[in-house]
Amino acid sequence: MSTVDWKNYEPVLIPDIKDLNKIDVYIKQGGYKAFESVLKDKNKWSGPKSVVNEVKEANIRGRGGAGFNAGLKWSFMPPVDGGPRYLACNGDESEPGTFKDRKIFEYNPHVFIEGALIAAYAMEITTIYVYIRGEYRAYIQMMEKAISDSYEKGFIGKNILGTDFSVDFYVHSGAGAYICGEETSMLESLEGKRGYPRVKPPFPAQKGLWGRPTTINNIETLAHVPAVINRGAVWFKNIGAENHPGPILYGISGHVNKPGVYELPTGVPVLDLIYDVAGGMRNGKKLKAVIPGGSSTPVLRADQLDGITMDSDSLRTVGSMLGTAGMVVMDEDTDMVDVLWRIAHFYHHESCGQCTPCREGTGWLEKILLKIKNGEGEVRDLDLLLDITTQMEGRTICALADAAAWPVRFTINRFRDEFEARCKKSVYALA
Amino acid sequence: MPEVIIDGKSYTYEGQYKLLQFIQDLGKEVPFFCYHPSMSIPANCRQCMVKVGQYIIDRESGEHQLDEKGERVIRWFPKLQTACNIDVADGMVVHTQETDELVRRAQKDNLELILINHPLDCPICDQAGECPLQIQTYKYGPEGSRFEVKKVHKPKRIQLGPRVVLDAERCINCTRCTRFTEEISKTHQLTITRRGDKNYPTTAPGLEFDDPYSLNTVDICPVGALTSADFRFKARVWEMNQTPGIDITNGKGCNIDLWTRDNLVLRITPRFNKDVNGHWMPDKGREAYRLFNENRISRPLQILDSEQILSSWNNAIATFNEQVEEANKKEILVIGSAHASVEENYSLARFSNLLGLNQPVFVPHIIEGTGDGFLITDDQAPNTNGCRLLGFTELDQKSIKKAVKKASLVILLSDHLLDRGVLSPGDLDGKFLITFATNHSDTTKRADLVIPITTAAEHAASYVNVDGRIQRTIRAKETKYTNRRLDLEMSEGRLDRYGTNFDNWVTEENKIDCVPVWSFISQAAGAQDLDLVLNEGREIMDEIASVLEPFEGVSYHLMDEQSGIRLHLDTKEKTKT
Repeated sequence: MSTVDWKNYEPVLIPDIKDLNKIDVYIKQGGYKAFESVLKDKNKWSGPKSVVNEVKEANIRGRGGAGFNAGLKWSFMPPVDGGPRYLACNGDESEPGTFKDRKIFEYNPHVFIEGALIAAYAMEITTIYVYIRGEYRAYIQMMEKAISDSYEKGFIGKNILGTDFSVDFYVHSGAGAYICGEETSMLESLEGKRGYPRVKPPFPAQKGLWGRPTTINNIETLAHVPAVINRGAVWFKNIGAENHPGPILYGISGHVNKPGVYELPTGVPVLDLIYDVAGGMRNGKKLKAVIPGGSSTPVLRADQLDGITMDSDSLRTVGSMLGTAGMVVMDEDTDMVDVLWRIAHFYHHESCGQCTPCREGTGWLEKILLKIKNGEGEVRDLDLLLDITTQMEGRTICALADAAAWPVRFTINRFRDEFEARCKKSVYALA
Repeated sequence: MPEVIIDGKSYTYEGQYKLLQFIQDLGKEVPFFCYHPSMSIPANCRQCMVKVGQYIIDRESGEHQLDEKGERVIRWFPKLQTACNIDVADGMVVHTQETDELVRRAQKDNLELILINHPLDCPICDQAGECPLQIQTYKYGPEGSRFEVKKVHKPKRIQLGPRVVLDAERCINCTRCTRFTEEISKTHQLTITRRGDKNYPTTAPGLEFDDPYSLNTVDICPVGALTSADFRFKARVWEMNQTPGIDITNGKGCNIDLWTRDNLVLRITPRFNKDVNGHWMPDKGREAYRLFNENRISRPLQILDSEQILSSWNNAIATFNEQVEEANKKEILVIGSAHASVEENYSLARFSNLLGLNQPVFVPHIIEGTGDGFLITDDQAPNTNGCRLLGFTELDQKSIKKAVKKASLVILLSDHLLDRGVLSPGDLDGKFLITFATNHSDTTKRADLVIPITTAAEHAASYVNVDGRIQRTIRAKETKYTNRRLDLEMSEGRLDRYGTNFDNWVTEENKIDCVPVWSFISQAAGAQDLDLVLNEGREIMDEIASVLEPFEGVSYHLMDEQSGIRLHLDTKEKTKT
């Protein structure tokens, strides 16, 4: 596989332009041209379906973690039947290690708004909700401002730009629950209910918000759409990794010199990201481990990273996933037992409590890990932990149980020595 | 016909089914907690895991794809599926815990997880003995627990409302109770609060769980998290007898079970009848258990020197006959009752017929606006339509007052007319009042002769509900004159079967000294040399069926078989619910 030429990449989502969050600056930079084009350029676009096909062709794989082709998802919407249809934009990003969507809210909200408007046009949707994590108080206000500016300029509202396309755009604040980032519990939350994931089927495209057809997309996924419309699917497909193309926001945190959000093509080597993009390890320490895509993705040891690039195919070969591309980099001083306990604590705290395996399992995992962390664990507890993860995986309505179980399973498997060293020696009587 | 293969056996089916319900209907079992056939399916307990696959059909030939051995190739779902929410489909292959180790393992794993934070206080828990969690743990659960850390602590002994107590630690979060208030009673009073292993059902802050159907949540709670404030700690379930009966507190005639121990009714729970009450009943009907135990009239009462005293049966029969013989036939008013059964009313009617008295009248007990269109009716009595079908004249307050005024002797069947304000004490001045009654009241206090009679818990008799459905009761508790062991229809609990009358838990006082209306009337008639023998409910109903057209074809046998029979009501006779 040819290496991705990331050094010459020009950012499109969060380019270095002063005051890009202001609508006038955004328009001056060619903003809302893509939206205008799909609405008005009848030579280029034969209607909503042609927009869906272009996006499908670009193969924008969902940036929320599941990596599903966004255009394909749009094509699942049933034909218009006169009733309401919804686009729900998922900006609840709450997974530890993930902090990319906030960059869009802060630096370039209109690229997302434009993307969402194009998506709404393509799926003939008249109501858009953007669900933003409750802790993002400041970004919620920024989005509200951006949306009201866009209303004022006539990009949102009735008969947009003189066409018969009308759409409304609402900001909805989360209330501090990680589970509301799961797409169906986000719908429940939008409806004002308790954030419990729904049983699928029926899928949201059939029965979503208030039982009506709904598409749910991540913020970053939608933010890619204007560029795809402006520059074409082929341009997008030729960026980055073959099966997972396009620009992507890498959120790099942890023991690096320059943590932050970087917009680069997919498929950048993990080590390049750490040593070149993020300025290398802090204090010249040795790299120990990397969580590649948010806390639920399996951790990788430093010795597993040679030649591994940030795309789903490459990461799969070493047993991990791209997730949200929120990398957590850990140096040699990191205590993996502490790391794992902290992750387990998070999932215990955030389990919604609907399904038995997750409700009970997450707490049990955390309690055993706390015991090990405090030096009171035994080696047999490690096997019990692994056993509990098998009791949780794949047996719940949503993927939170998997997200809670995988870190435990893979961290123990990949750093077993460290865990055993923290355990009391099990004593066995001689027969 | 579409075909589904479950544990290697093929079943054909028609229509749409959820797999769990389908398996249950076959008489097989898959363990579950959250599923309830009358409510939405949340699939949250994750207990009913089964392995599901589908025969692969070759697209071109339309034939089953076969492997080298010639067996049909099955494409299994990558994960185990919850049987409760998966639709049965043609060519579906299912392995339950009976045939699949993986499924057995998954169900055991799930029970281990459910139990880690469950207090396991079965010895002091009301639910023990009828607890799905207890039963299924014994059947499918792990032998021990590997949980060696601290359990989660949650609120206990929370009085959610006047009738329901919550123990949040026992809760397994199946959401049956919250779904009940959302989907069935529609009061939306309960919700789950907090997250993860700390969550439990509760009301909104400051509000009470006073839903008129609140006790149904206690029935459907698959653990002892919700218990009845009234029944709590009164009895272990295995000490009681369970006898089917009919709710007599309103016109709906909800099908119920009476739970008795030592001839006291300790609680009432609903019994499923899809044509009447489904799985549910109102709380008010459950509180009626007290009517069977408390404030009962035991032995006849008579007025002597303007004071009511206990009398004897011989005296009562003699007085009854004396009064009937002495009175001018035109001045005897016989009042039937919508609160009494068809058989009781019929017995009275037969008697007055033989003596050439007027056909009995009755005063319906309907309070407009008290019904809710669900299981609570405006009609406060269980048998208004029964009286109508027997041909009794329906009187309102004005006309009953008039009729009483003309009478010198009033024979009143089990209806507290003074208490419910139909008659005032002045109306009865100078009249001789004979009443058949079960419980003491202002009406019985005024009566010159009170004949204690059996309640719906002590006799087998039928009631016609507001929709014209005739349903019957079975004897649940003994009177002085009945014996559980001789009456083959009565249920026997463990204590009854293996105990003796000399056991210290036996209280002879709980057996009331009363007789069915028809026995008293037969005896009174016998003393008058009248040809009237009324033995028991079953025979009386056969007689009614043979002489009264609306009851044609009705028998206890048929009622039992079909859980009640819908009778034909003239529209004008039908009461409003």
